[in-house]
Amino acid sequence: MAGRSQLPVQIMENRTRFELNTAIENWRNQLAAQPNFAPDDRRELEAHLRDAITEFQQRGLNDEESFWLAGRRIGQPQQLSDEFEKANSTRVWRERMFWLALGIISWQLTLILTTVAKIMLNYLTPGLHRFYQRSGFWFVDAAILIIGIILARGWFVRSTKPIWFFANRFRLVLSMTVLIILLASTQVGIVRQISLNRGYDSVVRMGLGAWVPNLLHLTLGYLEYSVAPLILLMLFFPPQNRGYSKLDCGHIE
Amino acid sequence: MYKTAMLTKDLVAASSKPLLLSILAGGESYGYEIMQKVRELSGGQIEWSDGMLYPVLHRLERDGLIKSEWKAAVTGRERKYYFISSGGRRALKTERRQWLAVHNSLCKLWKIEPVSS
Repeated sequence: MAGRSQLPVQIMENRTRFELNTAIENWRNQLAAQPNFAPDDRRELEAHLRDAITEFQQRGLNDEESFWLAGRRIGQPQQLSDEFEKANSTRVWRERMFWLALGIISWQLTLILTTVAKIMLNYLTPGLHRFYQRSGFWFVDAAILIIGIILARGWFVRSTKPIWFFANRFRLVLSMTVLIILLASTQVGIVRQISLNRGYDSVVRMGLGAWVPNLLHLTLGYLEYSVAPLILLMLFFPPQNRGYSKLDCGHIE
Repeated sequence: MYKTAMLTKDLVAASSKPLLLSILAGGESYGYEIMQKVRELSGGQIEWSDGMLYPVLHRLERDGLIKSEWKAAVTGRERKYYFISSGGRRALKTERRQWLAVHNSLCKLWKIEPVSS
């Protein structure tokens, strides 16, 4: 093939030996990090990639060149993902909604648990609880939430190789920002509104006329501080490699 | 994007359905083979991007025009084979009539011998 000496993989000084199966595995992981593929889609695309590699190998190219050309022909995972999004939007949204619902439920549980913990804390050591409220012990909530997310993910992901939830830097920064906003606003909102110092007792002591606006206020605050950030969180960062086994496709020797 | 199609984007999109149905009417096939067939048939003039083929196939499948099944080749490699359904054959007949109508009209205008349907 003319011009094969100009392939970028050869220009790059790559001193480690090229391992085809490792390269395919990396490619597969890149694909798994994209949101729009069903496990079956990825399996199909990988079969396609392997067919293309075989074709180039039969034309006399080495493993590295074949992999590089096949990857070019099939397209970047990002581009493939865009193409699939047009066709798969229903499935993608169904999946997002599932994670949204799961997120809301687990967040509710977290809220209940932390509230119970705070009540107990106040009952046992009021001084420590006041410190908790003043300083905003946000990392307690953060730890619970993060553990919850990781557990929820571990439960549903059946990949042989775990892919970290914050797979790339962009997603990491964005989700951390959302997480911090979420936790900060929760501290300010819920904890202050239903805090034990001026919480249920003061609401009960108020007349009936004050109940409705107070409840409304509570509900709105609740929606604003807990549900809305979660919708953002779960919509934009659904876990992405459910139910895919790397043994599905034939291996190249 | 990464398409180097000689045909315009609209024409590629419109013609993908009759092309795929016609190929599958000739026997079951899988994505990679279909791509090669198209490239071969058009002498490279219809250059589909690999990424575009699968969403189109999946859409045809959703519409009930084709069906799919995973099968292992002799080499042990698994591929998703597509085959045409009876609904697909009916759709192909309609497509054929429509494309020939366009084709024949253009032939008359350009004074080329039309193809019988």
